[in-house]
Parts: sequence; C-alpha cells; structure tokens
Amino acid sequence: MTRADRVLMAIVLCTLPLLYLHFWTDQEPATVLRMQVADMDPTVTPLTPDRHVQLAGPIGESIIEIRAGQARFLDSPCPGKVCVHSGWLREAGQLAACLPNRISIQLLGNRPRFDAINF
Amino acid sequence: MPRPALPQLYPLLRTLTLALVCLLAACNRAGDPVYRDQFFAFGTLIDLSLHGVDTPRAEQASRALEQAFTQMHSDWHAWQPGALQQANAGLAAHGQASVDPAMAALIQEANRLSTLSNGLFNPVIGRLVALWGFHNDEPPQGPPPAADRIRQLVEQAPASTDVRVDDGQIRSRNPAVRYDLGAFAKGHAIDRGIEQLEELGIQNAIINAGGDLRAIGRHGNRPWRIGIRDPRKPGVLASIELAGDESVFTSGDYERFYEHEGRRYHHIIDPRSGYPAGATVSATVIHPVAATADAAATALFVAGPDAWPAIARQMGVKYVMLVDREGRIHLNPAMQARLKFESEPEAIVMSEAL
Repeated sequence: MTRADRVLMAIVLCTLPLLYLHFWTDQEPATVLRMQVADMDPTVTPLTPDRHVQLAGPIGESIIEIRAGQARFLDSPCPGKVCVHSGWLREAGQLAACLPNRISIQLLGNRPRFDAINF
Repeated sequence: MPRPALPQLYPLLRTLTLALVCLLAACNRAGDPVYRDQFFAFGTLIDLSLHGVDTPRAEQASRALEQAFTQMHSDWHAWQPGALQQANAGLAAHGQASVDPAMAALIQEANRLSTLSNGLFNPVIGRLVALWGFHNDEPPQGPPPAADRIRQLVEQAPASTDVRVDDGQIRSRNPAVRYDLGAFAKGHAIDRGIEQLEELGIQNAIINAGGDLRAIGRHGNRPWRIGIRDPRKPGVLASIELAGDESVFTSGDYERFYEHEGRRYHHIIDPRSGYPAGATVSATVIHPVAATADAAATALFVAGPDAWPAIARQMGVKYVMLVDREGRIHLNPAMQARLKFESEPEAIVMSEAL
C-alpha cells in the first residue's frame, strides 16, 4: 500500500459519516407547494420566488403567500378564517385547508421528516 | 521501514470501502416513494398516504375511500339530514327510532366506550353541543349560551346508559338524549377506511382525517413517522414511530373554538358542567383502533390532568400525552419511552404505568 493509497482511504473513511448523514437521514427541507381546489387535479409550484398565489374556490378567492420556503393562507373568504389562523407551513408534510372554500395546500419534499402530522 | 501488518488484507479493505460508498450512494432515493392524495370529506381534509402501491391501484383506492367517507359523513352527520338525524328525530318524538344494522353497531360501540369513560366521552349530549353553537360548519359568534339554559340541559343528564339498542330499534328512557358522534364517528370512519384498503390488498398506508390518523404497515424499510403538533405554538412538539397498526388521535382546545371578550370557548364540552372542559389544552392517545383513540382523546381531555390515568386504564389505552393549561406535559412511562421531543420539555409530570 502506497502513501497515496493510505491518504485516499483516510479521505473515504472520513467522508463516510457525511455520506450517511446525507443519504440516510430524512432531514430535507420542502421543495414545492401542492395546491388543490375542490376535486380538481392538484397543482405543484416551487417555493421560490416569494410571491402571492390567488386560488379561486367555490365561495371566492383565497390568497396563498409563499415566502422564504414557507407557505400560508394569507386571506380567504371563509367566515371563521380558521385557515388563516393556522399560520405558516414550515416543513415538508405540513398542510392547511380552507374547508368552506375547499382549498388545501401542503408542503412537499423528497424526504419529509414526518409522514403525517397529528393535531 | 517496518512492514505493515497483514498486508494481504489491503485489497479486501479497499474493496469493502468501495462497496460501502456504493451502497450509501445507492440509497439516494429520487424522491418520497409514497402516493399521496387528498379529498374533502367528513367535514375535513382527508390525507391519504400509500406506500408500495402502483398509481392506478392507488387512485382506485383513493376514489373508493372518498365515496365511502362521503356516505358515512352523510349517514352520521349530527345536524344535517341523514340517518343519525332521523334517529334523533325519532328519539325526540317517541323516545325510540328504527336504525339499520350499521347504525345500531355504531351506536352500541359509542355507548360502550362512553360507559368505559364514566360518561366523560358522552355521545348523547347533542342538545348541549347545539346550544353552544357547534352544530355549524363555522365557529359560532357572540356570547356563550345563557347559564340557566346550560344548567337545564345538564340537569337532564342524558347518558348512553339511558339507551337500549336491540332488534333494529334504539330506545331511550331519557327525553334529553340526542346523539352527536362528533368525538367518535371520524375514528370509526377511519377504521372502516383501513378495512377497505386492506380488502384491496394495500398493506402500507396512513389515513389522516384532519390531523387524526391510523397507520398500517411501514414506509418501506422504516416505520411510519408521525409529528405531533405543538398545541400552543407553530411546529412539532414531539414525534413518534408507529408499530404496524396504530392510531394517533389528539383532542385540542384549538381545533374548533371562538373567543368572546377575551375568553376562549372550545368545542369539547364537559358533560358534568355543560361548559368547555377547562384544565386541558390537548390530549393525545395512541391505540390500535381509531374509534377508541378518538373517544379516549375526548374523554381524557375532559378528565383533565388529575383523573386521566384512571379513565385511560378503564378504556384500555396504553399511551397518553396530555398538555395542561400551565404547559406541563403529562405522560405515562410507556408513552415517554416512545416519544421523541423536538426540544426538552420544561415540565413533565409522569403518571404511574397504565
């Protein structure tokens, strides 16, 4: 074994833990937002750039705010504003819905930390 | 220069290292291999996750579930026309009503769980829930109901033990009995949904109905991972891995509520006082059967920080987490062993083993 062999093997062995962390753990931020209105097919949109998205539902227009990789209902025509009060979705798997306007939004990622959120 | 030890092993070491790197690299999955679909039913958003199911079969399963949930919702709705409303109308008019076998089984199971909970999960306080304005898709507005109206309904003390179910008839000896299966029907529907998926040959799935869920099987080579949302701030309080077939249900004061003059009035009514149960913020239950988890989450929420272990034992619940008004987290040891908190809780109150 030459010195180069040893150096190479040391580098590879030191890289292994990093590879493990990268490939085997499920810590990856959300990449896209899934939006669905009633029974229509869902649409998927990237989380950049920051913007507002208008979605027309059965009782009016809901506004979705996308900012810094997060998303929320900014406004909705429902009386109770439960969807607006549910706040920001921050990680893959989280979802929020405006039931009266039949609109749901969900952050998706390749490897979400959680398969479902209980609340 | 000394010869290195066991030089004959170097080629083997090199090969092993290379194999390890290749193995790890092969684990770079292209994406989450889960079919996901959502639909509105049962007055909430149903989120379906299926693992290891091809898309045509997954879509077929999702459509079948949506139909089934829509039908169950219509049959069991507490305040819209349907089989349960007919049953309630019969109870109001004659103290009895005809029910089909499915409804009879549903009511019997609700009554059984109510008895086990000492009536803290009470499926026959429909009039009280309506008085509070929660028989509406939107939260009520304005002041709470008048105290004497609440007292009047509480004194009538409708209980599931007032009801007999036999020969396709339900009979009540208490004229105040009105069924509202709000703390039970969703769980029962999820159980039926899981049965339906299993009949279609699906073994790895989560049905999540507005945050309450049952999961069967696994996510490939690992268990399903569930985050339990923090009841008072954004984000996740703790996470848990599920063991093959389990339900996770949480009853919280943040789910359906309204505020009047700075005070919060939520939808989980304590049948003993007639007012929203005051000592608990959220109660989380894990149980194999979703209907039991659903009823138990409500019962333990109402029971509160002191009485919940006794009720949990009676209901056969093995895993409980309850957050009280002061933010303390109440747990049984088995639940603590399974939970992974996102950050160290400020105060944990440990119960005896259940």
